Amino acid sequence: MSKRLKSNNYQSPKQMKKIALSGLLAGAVLFIVSYGGLYLSVRFFPSLFIEYNSPLFNSDGSRDLMFYMHPFIISFALSWFWDRFKGVFSDTFFLRVFEFAFVYATVALLPVMWITFSSLDITITTVSSWFAYGIMQSIVAGFVFSKVNP
Amino acid sequence: MGMSARPTLLLLCLFAFFACSFQLPSPTKWVINKSCFLKVTGSTNINKFECTIANYYKPDTLTIYRGGNNEGVKISGKMELGVSKFDCRNPVMTADLRKTLKVKTFPHLTINFLSFDRYPNFKEETGKLNGKVNIELAGVTKQFDVNYKFIASSTNSLMLVGTQRVNFSDFKIIPPRKLGGMIETNNELDIEFNLQLKVLN
Repeated sequence: MSKRLKSNNYQSPKQMKKIALSGLLAGAVLFIVSYGGLYLSVRFFPSLFIEYNSPLFNSDGSRDLMFYMHPFIISFALSWFWDRFKGVFSDTFFLRVFEFAFVYATVALLPVMWITFSSLDITITTVSSWFAYGIMQSIVAGFVFSKVNP
Repeated sequence: MGMSARPTLLLLCLFAFFACSFQLPSPTKWVINKSCFLKVTGSTNINKFECTIANYYKPDTLTIYRGGNNEGVKISGKMELGVSKFDCRNPVMTADLRKTLKVKTFPHLTINFLSFDRYPNFKEETGKLNGKVNIELAGVTKQFDVNYKFIASSTNSLMLVGTQRVNFSDFKIIPPRKLGGMIETNNELDIEFNLQLKVLN
């Protein structure tokens, strides 16, 4: 109960710093894991990526910086979310990480993937891979937050 | 007519004689008489693609101006193809190629035939030629040397297959790159055009 109350308080500057630091660290880890994984997937499973040769996807490189900033955007958002609601998750290390990922997937990923699939001309395989990718990112970030900002 | 007019007359006669002797053959017309196609082959770091404009048929005519024995052959005539007709046998790839070639702004790909290094010998069944063409794509025109293979099916019909490697950058087109460059299209494109021609006069 005390954890829950604490998590609902406004963040102090110290807590904000903790959120920023854990966000930065999670962003760095996610950057390596996400793009390393993506690079290896493109290299070893090229057929899964043929659908990306589509005009739906930006092709002139003008948004590359934004693309590579994504791990930090998601990590800062998740870091704040973790700090705000960590009190409501289970106390067990692994369980709370997966619970965190599950909540994120349910609240944010699933509706976004739903509208994406319903409105864009992409396959279920692609949208499922994005869903799995998002869950993987939240699990990795959850492990970092759980260690750095328990 | 005095004595002074005689040399002039003689000169005129000589000029007329030489002019008749060295008169160039009259231009030959080659008519595109069957379905032709253009094929573009390229690759990305994950796959290869082959896009074609099949069944091109416009009653276009190539006019061939033959020179002397060992001279080149000048040509006038062109092939104008709609970029929106490209088909890569994969809707996603097709749409992407059309977008890359800026179909909305520049809907046509034009091949302007300029010359051959010699006139094809119709007694040979097959042979090779070299030539020059201007290719206009995405609003940029560039001249290329083309290797041709010809197959003469009779004395007055001919299949001409031209091949040339070009680059996207030749036409100021940036090869598409997706996912922050994880998927990249290679700059080179192999172009092959196949013309079925009927020789007139």
